[in-house]
Amino acid sequence: MDGWMGKRLRVDLGERKVWVEELSPAYLKKWIGGRGFNSEVVYHETEAGMDPFDPRNPLCFATGPLGGTFAPLAGRTTISARSPMTCSSRGTEVHGHGDTNMGGHFAAAMKYAGFDQIVIKGKASSPVYLWIDDDHFEIKDARHLWGTKVKEGTKKIVEELGDPDIKVSIIGPAGENLVRFACILNSFGSAGGRTGMGAVMGSKNLKAIAIRGANPITIAEPKTFAERAWALRDIIHHAPSAIRRRDEGSMDLFDAGNAIGINAHKNVSTGFMPRIEEVYGGYQWAKEFLFRRKACWSCPVGCGRYTYIKEGKYAGFHCSGPEMESVCNLGPRIDSYDVASVNVMCGMVNELGMDSISAGAALSWTMECFEKGYLSEKDTGGIPFKWGDCETSMQVLEMIAQRKGFGDILAEGNIRAAEKLGVGMDIVPHCRGLEHISVDPRIAMGFSLGYAMSTRGSDHLKNYSCMEFQGSAISRQELVNEVLGPELSKEFWNDFPSELYTLTTKPKLCTWSERNKCVADLVGCCCQAIGSWGGAGDYRSYTPLLRAATGYDLSDEEVFIAAERVIAIERAHWNREGSARQDDTHIDRYFEEGVVDGPYKGLKIDRKEWDWAKSEYYKLHEWDENGFISDQKLMELGLEALIPDMEKGRQLFKQQD
Amino acid sequence: MNKKKVIVIDPDKCVGCHSCEMACSLKNFQKCSPLLSRIRIQEFRDVNTFIPIVCQACEDATCIKVCPMGARIRLESGAVVTNESACIGCRACIYACPFAAPVINLETGKTMTCDLCGNEAEPWCVKSCTMQGALKFVSKEQVSKDLSRKFAWKLKEQFQPQQLTEEKDGPGFSWG
Repeated sequence: MDGWMGKRLRVDLGERKVWVEELSPAYLKKWIGGRGFNSEVVYHETEAGMDPFDPRNPLCFATGPLGGTFAPLAGRTTISARSPMTCSSRGTEVHGHGDTNMGGHFAAAMKYAGFDQIVIKGKASSPVYLWIDDDHFEIKDARHLWGTKVKEGTKKIVEELGDPDIKVSIIGPAGENLVRFACILNSFGSAGGRTGMGAVMGSKNLKAIAIRGANPITIAEPKTFAERAWALRDIIHHAPSAIRRRDEGSMDLFDAGNAIGINAHKNVSTGFMPRIEEVYGGYQWAKEFLFRRKACWSCPVGCGRYTYIKEGKYAGFHCSGPEMESVCNLGPRIDSYDVASVNVMCGMVNELGMDSISAGAALSWTMECFEKGYLSEKDTGGIPFKWGDCETSMQVLEMIAQRKGFGDILAEGNIRAAEKLGVGMDIVPHCRGLEHISVDPRIAMGFSLGYAMSTRGSDHLKNYSCMEFQGSAISRQELVNEVLGPELSKEFWNDFPSELYTLTTKPKLCTWSERNKCVADLVGCCCQAIGSWGGAGDYRSYTPLLRAATGYDLSDEEVFIAAERVIAIERAHWNREGSARQDDTHIDRYFEEGVVDGPYKGLKIDRKEWDWAKSEYYKLHEWDENGFISDQKLMELGLEALIPDMEKGRQLFKQQD
Repeated sequence: MNKKKVIVIDPDKCVGCHSCEMACSLKNFQKCSPLLSRIRIQEFRDVNTFIPIVCQACEDATCIKVCPMGARIRLESGAVVTNESACIGCRACIYACPFAAPVINLETGKTMTCDLCGNEAEPWCVKSCTMQGALKFVSKEQVSKDLSRKFAWKLKEQFQPQQLTEEKDGPGFSWG
């Protein structure tokens, strides 16, 4: 087998059994890899209404055929399971598909051990970790590791097993304590943050997976593969956006973000934070805090940072990261200008094993509740929440991870906390229970639509319609025209750049870009190159590499359809729960309250346009008016087995009406 | 004057992406595996420090001296490699090397080191590191010039009034 390793590792922690399954060529062609394998397993091996902490919930790790090879940016692992974090307007007990994507070096190690995917089910009777050394599998005692933070835990495992090249995916105290937004980290600081996969891992009493392997990845057509890989590397080497990303890290986005006023500020309520790029911009940050960059597997860019704080209160502190989303959600989102403290908080959430976005959301939501008078110190056990208060925030982060005091409530995530406390539901910035990232949904409508339609709850990385932004649009002009077709592209450029906040072209743009992004997840590469940077092209930059690596004659169209299939099965996971049109929306706040400040002051989402865009989006996907995948479409995608589930879903949907 | 080129490493700039290992194994074995690579990145990931280890093709190479079979040979390019037909896989060259740079080829059990990619203008590992700059392919006379320039750059500020300090990067210095 070339490109793929052709094997899936199955683990049952309850039975303490480990076995290997072969993946058939037809299966590989149908699901390609990574997110595809995972979404297929998660759909078929769970059922409607299943609790995410049910031992039967499969926790899947997978990478694609390009993962761990010489292809540029080939270091991505997708982790999937039913998510404890998300919910539907049908109720917080309704859960759906969850996945998260991490960089680092775990994907490569998994391939070298001989596996495309690892599926873990069952619950161990006491804490364990999984040790995979080629074809040697061991479920090892982890009682002595329980309670350790990420760095300490990883170090202990590596020392215990005696090889520094062993790659470890691990959860921190947050995952152990079932914090709903706990994450999984590998290589000391590459996180798979969203949708609470760490909590699922914790619920299985699984502290870590340690992996090492000596199997090379064989390449079907090495010469073509090398040529294409060099060509793509060369493009990335010369792309200005990639060079900037290398110099500044993802914090280069603050600059552009604030110019159009979309950076989340104060619980994603204002849409603008003055001076944000001066305070948090990548160059400024690098001057003060950068120890050295770091990179994921085979990445020519290296946007990863490593912090070392030289002076001040936190002198001597060093940690992996931060990344722009972490900074923005633990900084501007809680209205803090204190970069050093925010940096320390970014390090803290990594060490505790929590999603920095949802952790920031927990803090900022409580702060706004205090401001609005919804909550007071009486409710929080005496803890005052004040905008910009980093010191208290640090204590609260620790309390969340340990589920102590008020932290126990915040550990449930915004929406469940609001439900428990009976206040503040109107100011939870979320879709399907997952809190927004740091981009205001009232300005960039492609992102906004993407949040609502995302198959894992509010998130930009499912949709990733970066072409709506000025810089990306200009550098990818031809692609914009190709994607939108003659009529819509005329409209796009006519309104450009104010096009950003109109919905006209967005359904089309979204349906294309979500598939484009999905291809990166399928092949096991990073979406950055094909998602946003001019010059590096689109998914068709990866498909020739895919063909050369695997030797399979997969046309561009087939790969694009595979991406559609994967999105469909994730969507079907929600449909099965009766979640469709009613959940594809934003909270009332974004329809009623305008942006507070910045160039787009006063802007809000127009309800009529929004409804039109949703219907249009369904039409482009060939789903029905309520957002359920049509039987016709399911048959086309080879998913006809899902039809009965859809019918049950429609019944649930009608009951809610 | 010795104009022959060698691979120079700069651990300050290595970000641990392992692209060089992938390039090397792909070039020489048509496969991707760090264990088939003649260059190896030693990681100290807990402190984000990475050291590339590759044969330095020493002028007075100990590996050539200790090899009991005379299998360590110097090529025209200056590279020192293992003659696989003579090598018995005793690993003496690894012990003798101050960097333990020779690696064992898992397929044959014999040692291997960098051959500077033969006729290529630039070794693949160096080419794959273009964005990071941790590996360079330069003539021997340039090595000491570059290194002393790098240290001079660090010292420079002590001898220069603050107002003249340039904002931009100089040689041997970057954000990373």
